[in-house]
Amino acid sequence: MFKLDKISKSFDGTQVLKPCSLEFKTGETSVLIGPSGCGKSTLLRLLAGLIQPDSGTVFFENQPLSPASLIFQRRRMGYVIQEGGLFPHLTALGNITLLASRLGMTPIDVAKRVEYLASLTRLPMELLNRYPGQLSGGQRQRVGIMRALMLDPPVLLLDEPMGALDPLVRYDLQEDLRAIIRSLKKTAILVTHDMGEASFFGDRLLLLNVGEIVQEGNLDDFITKPSSPYVTRFINAQRMPHLIARTPGEVCQ
Amino acid sequence: MISLLLPSWPKTLAICLAFFFCLVAKPARAAEPPGVAIGSKSFTESVILGEILSQLARQTGAVVSHRAELGGTRILWEALKKGDIDAYVDYTGTIRDELLAGELPASSPVANNKSNDFPQLRAGLQKHQIHLSMPLGFNNTYALGMRETLAAKLNIKTISDLQKQPGLALGLSEEFVERKDGWRQLASHYRLPQKNMRTMNHTLAYQGLVNDSIQITDLYTTDAEIPFYQLRVLEDDLAFFPSYQAVLLIRADLFQRAPLAAEALLRLEGKLTSTAIAALSARVKLEKISETVVAAQWLRQNLEPTLLVPDDDQSARQRRLLQRLGQATVEHLFLVVVSLLAAILVAVPLGIYAARHDRMGQIVLAMVGIVQTLPSLALLVFMIPFFGLGPTSAIVALFCYSLLPIVRNTYSGLRQIPPTTCESAEVLGLSAWDKLRLVEFPLALPLVLSGIKTAAVINVGTATIGALVGAGGYGSVILTGIRLLDIPLILQGAIPAALMALLAQYLFGWIEKLLVSPGLRLNR
Repeated sequence: MFKLDKISKSFDGTQVLKPCSLEFKTGETSVLIGPSGCGKSTLLRLLAGLIQPDSGTVFFENQPLSPASLIFQRRRMGYVIQEGGLFPHLTALGNITLLASRLGMTPIDVAKRVEYLASLTRLPMELLNRYPGQLSGGQRQRVGIMRALMLDPPVLLLDEPMGALDPLVRYDLQEDLRAIIRSLKKTAILVTHDMGEASFFGDRLLLLNVGEIVQEGNLDDFITKPSSPYVTRFINAQRMPHLIARTPGEVCQ
Repeated sequence: MISLLLPSWPKTLAICLAFFFCLVAKPARAAEPPGVAIGSKSFTESVILGEILSQLARQTGAVVSHRAELGGTRILWEALKKGDIDAYVDYTGTIRDELLAGELPASSPVANNKSNDFPQLRAGLQKHQIHLSMPLGFNNTYALGMRETLAAKLNIKTISDLQKQPGLALGLSEEFVERKDGWRQLASHYRLPQKNMRTMNHTLAYQGLVNDSIQITDLYTTDAEIPFYQLRVLEDDLAFFPSYQAVLLIRADLFQRAPLAAEALLRLEGKLTSTAIAALSARVKLEKISETVVAAQWLRQNLEPTLLVPDDDQSARQRRLLQRLGQATVEHLFLVVVSLLAAILVAVPLGIYAARHDRMGQIVLAMVGIVQTLPSLALLVFMIPFFGLGPTSAIVALFCYSLLPIVRNTYSGLRQIPPTTCESAEVLGLSAWDKLRLVEFPLALPLVLSGIKTAAVINVGTATIGALVGAGGYGSVILTGIRLLDIPLILQGAIPAALMALLAQYLFGWIEKLLVSPGLRLNR
């Protein structure tokens, strides 16, 4: 689905992403994880074409991202950020259907699709006429997911979508989101700094530090075969007692 | 033979008559009455003179308009050169020091004398295709004055006579004390011994003369108060004060275009004494008779015995006032609405451009900021050569002043949108135009509207400057009020202007409710 060929990125002379090549396969859920400033969001923004790499090329569905075709390529990506990134001046429904109605979808098709997505994200239909300011954080996030799914894109790009939610709301939303991704067989790329969330979603975890992918694999690999002391430190910092890795290869139960 | 001819007499007569009528009627029909525009400055003497000139020209059959109470010498001069007005009255000192400043051989303002000056001024004006008339007969310059009764008792006729009376107290206006050709030079020129001198407001100085707390004050030789308070103007026997002879400035082309009217204007040469013009000003300022009536009465007595004097009863004046207020409202609204609409059309795109282009944006903001700092009178003088007298100049000036609040608020409105919101719109796959139209502009709208509201309210106030270039509006009512020291009249212009500003405020509050998404009002 995505292929990154020797891409790198600097801001103001600081290299935030060291040269790397990477692939995200169709139907796979990948999680970019790491501390703040490690380059995980930069990587996601490169995929969405929000920033251009200094060197190298990003391929989406085997086509390079290019200014001329970006607008159409983006319509095949769903993008969800913290709080959903909703437009405060439009109702939930207005947010969800903004592009669809501009692309010539008939009102009947739009209505059907909205009803389907509402049941999928378990959002009560009567909330759709509210403005984002009148919704709770979790409701806003569900609207954000509906908006991202409106055009049925093959890819979902999720930038810390649960970052601002309290734990119980987050728990429900994580369940629902994973179910949606799996049932719709979407390719998903999720950015988070929460190891628990990462392992819950991810078939494949990529741990970044200072612009570099330090380890790739599943949670077990991270615990049992850490590539560096940094990986162990990062796992332990999550304070999940059953996961604490005292020394490489040894798990405390 | 005779009997044969006889029956044809009436026929011949008819033919002759018809021929005669053709001769008379034809040129009369062919020649449209020429249009003549007279200007005047915004003080009473100038307005009266403008009325006299207008009525003189009208007597020749010309279609005359009087662009009354324009905002100062430079504006009249630019309008005269451009051809927006054909004639107005100015003063030799002003022509020398302001209109032809730098164009004449240097002459000391104190030592100049009237007769030498005149051919020079005439030649200087000729270069601008402006004809200079002979003096109208009065000299409106500084002078010293005292109560007639006291002057008679002490036998004081000239300024030199003051040398014998060191005990007299002087109350002088601040400007007269400060001027290069003011009190200090005057005192040394005449070797005046008086030591008891203080500065005071010109109007209060007259009160001081009346209650004898001062005995001498400075005045303009044509002040209306001179006859009113029965003052004696002391003769400048050692020729200290510069000459401010009233003269007519006439566009040279008027003598070809409307020769009768141009010649009629010149009939005023030498006809007005200082006492006469002061008396006319007094009738307007102190007896509250309209300039039109005062001018007509003077013309009837002195130049045009057949002229009809319009009546000036109270009810007619009341009607005129209401009419003028209605007209001022329409004119004022016109200035504000047209300039504001034009400013919105230009400033909103400019603001969007500034928000999009960092460096050029700063330059745009700086430029509209600089425009804001230009003094309005300077801006108007600058406009006249391009747009002439009337609403266009005022509208262009108001347009310039409206730019900053709208550009700046559009810029800030777009800049305050969180970058994540812009990115969400981008990643959604909206085109640049749709992104601006559907997301960014609606989010910036509350600030854009408040910028437009600020511009509108400022505009309602600033539009009063329209009066300076003859664009009318409440400013002309206020200007007349100030000129006549008529507080109620000032209020009749100022209160509606304030109400209009409040109305604009209210109207935009309503428009905001209508246009701004309710979703945005939740967070604020």
